[in-house]
Amino acid sequence: MSNTLRPYLNAVRQTLTAAMCLENFSSQVAERHNKPEVEARASKEVLLNPLVISRNDKEKVLIETSVNSLRVSIAIKQADEIERILAHKFTRFLMQRAESFVILRRKPIEGYDISFLITNAHTEQMYKHKLVDFIIQFMEEVDKEISEMKLSLNARARIVSESYLSQFN
Amino acid sequence: MSKPNFRKIDIDALEEDAFSLEELEQEIGETRPRHEVEALVGSRAQEVRSLLQRGNIGAALAKSLEDPPYGRDFDAAKERNTQTVMDVLNSTKSSDVPQLVKELNPVDQDVLMKYLYKGMASPEQYNSGVLLAWYEKLFEVAGQGCIVRVITDRRTV
Repeated sequence: MSNTLRPYLNAVRQTLTAAMCLENFSSQVAERHNKPEVEARASKEVLLNPLVISRNDKEKVLIETSVNSLRVSIAIKQADEIERILAHKFTRFLMQRAESFVILRRKPIEGYDISFLITNAHTEQMYKHKLVDFIIQFMEEVDKEISEMKLSLNARARIVSESYLSQFN
Repeated sequence: MSKPNFRKIDIDALEEDAFSLEELEQEIGETRPRHEVEALVGSRAQEVRSLLQRGNIGAALAKSLEDPPYGRDFDAAKERNTQTVMDVLNSTKSSDVPQLVKELNPVDQDVLMKYLYKGMASPEQYNSGVLLAWYEKLFEVAGQGCIVRVITDRRTV
């Protein structure tokens, strides 16, 4: 791992661990409703300060907390046009299958590439440290995945163009 | 029907004891007038700079974290004070950081954590690498509670 990646991921891990103190909380506005307050934004008193952790101006994580839910939005590194396309395709692929990932949000928050929504139901069903691990692992893997895809895309493009141009020999 | 979307009116906001962030922020925020706060922040920036020039980084750090401006309508003062704190953080050798962080009192540690998050929120302006290094050292000393206090404290910097 490079020099700034480890402190960056550590910071995200510590902040998530601190923020993930969720409890069941019914809506104060509508009776017998129970919705994630960070999404509903119906009562201001249960929303906590949003925090941003950044590695550089491209890579950052936004963590918004409320009493019963937590939203994590990740901006993935996109150095050039190809990486931007790959990141977009990749996150789209995942988000279309959001229900299999349980905590994935179907749409990212504006300015970020992918968002997770963790509610008190999730922290009751699953271990908190495993949830944090999952997000950290996702952040590690996604960069690797995209750079691998970029390499294989370039290799493929080279082979295609070679075999295409060889017929004019 | 004069108003077709009457269902969308937030009637709870009209209630007398409805919670509003404005009221809360007025309660906990700065009570001094704005020009006074800005003058204070300005003079503190000067003091911190002169302490830095003398190489007394510990005192400069403690001074810059002293009495930060809170509340709404103080954006200019907040920006200025953030700049002052960042100047101190950037001019510190990374080997000195653990000792400096240890010498801070718990209240100042919380304030420093707030400024670290504030700095990381604008990566185009401040160097995130330096802030992350500070963050790591501060976390070792102050622990999880410090982050929780930053998340929950309405007195944002």
